[in-house]
Amino acid sequence: MARKLYIFAIGGTGSRVLKALTMLFASGVKIGNNFDTVIPVIIDPDTSNGDLNRTKDILRLYQEIRNQVDQPDDFFSQEIRTINEMTVSSAVVNPEYFQFKLKDTDNNTFHQYIGFDSMSDNIEEKDDKNFIKSLFSSQNLKSNLDVGFKGNPNMGSIILNQFTNSDDFKKFGQTFGDDDAIFIINSIFGGTGAAGFPLLLKNLRGNRSMPRYAKISLAPVGGITFLPYFSLNKNDEVNAESFEEKAKIAIEYYNRTIISLNQINTLYFIGNRGNTNQEDYAVGGQEQRNKAHFLELAGALAILDFCKDVDSHKATTQVKEFGIEHDTQNITFTDLNIGNAKLLSPPLTKFRLYTEYLDKGLSKSLNVSRWTKSNIRLVRGNKQSLLNSNYFNSAEYNTQILPFNNYFTEWLREMKENKPVFSPFEEITADDALELVKGQTPKGNKSFKALDIQNCLLTDNISIRNREKKHTMLIKMFGRSTEKVLLKRNLVIR
Amino acid sequence: MGKFFGSIYDGIFNIYHESYHEIFQHLYDNGGYTSMGLAFLLIPLAGWILFYFLWKYPYSKIWHWLIWTAVMVLIVALVTNGIANAEIFGSDNQTLNDLLADTNTGYAEYAGSLPVKYVLTNSLLTLILSCIYSLLMKQFSKIHVHLPI
Repeated sequence: MARKLYIFAIGGTGSRVLKALTMLFASGVKIGNNFDTVIPVIIDPDTSNGDLNRTKDILRLYQEIRNQVDQPDDFFSQEIRTINEMTVSSAVVNPEYFQFKLKDTDNNTFHQYIGFDSMSDNIEEKDDKNFIKSLFSSQNLKSNLDVGFKGNPNMGSIILNQFTNSDDFKKFGQTFGDDDAIFIINSIFGGTGAAGFPLLLKNLRGNRSMPRYAKISLAPVGGITFLPYFSLNKNDEVNAESFEEKAKIAIEYYNRTIISLNQINTLYFIGNRGNTNQEDYAVGGQEQRNKAHFLELAGALAILDFCKDVDSHKATTQVKEFGIEHDTQNITFTDLNIGNAKLLSPPLTKFRLYTEYLDKGLSKSLNVSRWTKSNIRLVRGNKQSLLNSNYFNSAEYNTQILPFNNYFTEWLREMKENKPVFSPFEEITADDALELVKGQTPKGNKSFKALDIQNCLLTDNISIRNREKKHTMLIKMFGRSTEKVLLKRNLVIR
Repeated sequence: MGKFFGSIYDGIFNIYHESYHEIFQHLYDNGGYTSMGLAFLLIPLAGWILFYFLWKYPYSKIWHWLIWTAVMVLIVALVTNGIANAEIFGSDNQTLNDLLADTNTGYAEYAGSLPVKYVLTNSLLTLILSCIYSLLMKQFSKIHVHLPI
């Protein structure tokens, strides 16, 4: 029973949670419960948004790498596809299809979009203009739409209404299967997410013109709503001081229209008050490139939690919150509750060891260790490694594997620089590589040697070899070797 | 087994000298050939098993193999020297001891040169066997499959 999970990621927060989820998938996390495919759908009018484009690039790299791995079973094992790929069966990776396109938002102001100039302003007959002015400020009306809604959900609710009539949304309906599920990510304190969530949910539950409406309207739907978890270093068009007030109003609205009416199966709330990080002020566009935050990783965990219990959802909306075991501003794996620690520690530690190895350890073994040699004489072909210097100099390695690993490293570094700090790993060198997990000091040799030994032992293994799909051996080998090393040294929480 | 090793030393390497037959007969009768033969056969075997299957060092290069070969040769040479000296000069064969003691027979002078010949022979055999063992064992090795070539 193959099933798909559609994840609607709305606004900048949606993109960042999607990024965290993609990093978990790369590390080997799978959704399970027979969900074989994840279909991310990003809804954001701000097409030049830094967070959005970074996430789309990460998704592109993820797909490109996964397409070059034969039957991935650890790293990159979760399949991610676009709705377009589902409908046209295309193997071409195009990250643009991860985003639902909104029409007429590129060069228009809000007042152009709603046709404000053509409205009547005759006070005695049909005074549309003044009615509109009572709903939208003059600043709202003058706003360019290509940078989003600048924290104004009243604008977002108008613009986002169009996407349910779009071809993309129809394709979503056409591809929706009997056992598929939906998850929505939004923030409550901004513009796009706050407006988009109730609008999308309303359409999923009640838009009869949508293909497969009967199935979708009854399908399991989960959502995570982010309460304020960061502030801005400047207050202007977007005012961080209004975040909490806007959140309160929106929660009240959600309570009335979503939770009380059981429109959603599970709704997760997550936020952080007090010692939050100040992001650089940006109304949108390329400048909106917030640092990755631990709460976005926690948001990704909500998606896994939702899927785990997807078949046992109750008729009434379940509201869940996220918490950690120890109240600290410097979070490591041991500060999480044991369930989350078990879920995050093994895959993230494995992938961290893998990326650190390629960054700091490969130079020692390249052309020396047998797992990097393919010119060994007087042995059969399967003794030769496919991971020789040609592979490590190849365009695929340098334009897919390395950039993705850089994104992973950047993601961890940003979470470390944020508040609260999430920093489960130590900075390492090639000589103390196995001291990578904070608070864990393994006995014996701490260098990458143990990993190189495991790689050597795995080189002949036929199940990790594939000449056609170039990354098969690298991804599968390190999936296994990192696991063996970390388990043997007892460096992960099981 | 003594016959087999004897044929290697005497037949192939032509160490046998009929004027000093008593020494070679003693080596044959007392298992001297067998001991020296097993030394060049088994010591490298054990050494290369250690190298190819038990030594887990993933950064081995050709010079590791060369050093290991030299160590094997050295060990075999020392063991062979010890066996040859013990068999020839430390035996309880009264006839041989008398011949060695009699300076007119030339036995003592000839016997003194024999251990070196066996050492050189076994060293050469160790070198050859090391190559053969290496080529065979590398087929099944996981870490050092790339050595020596």
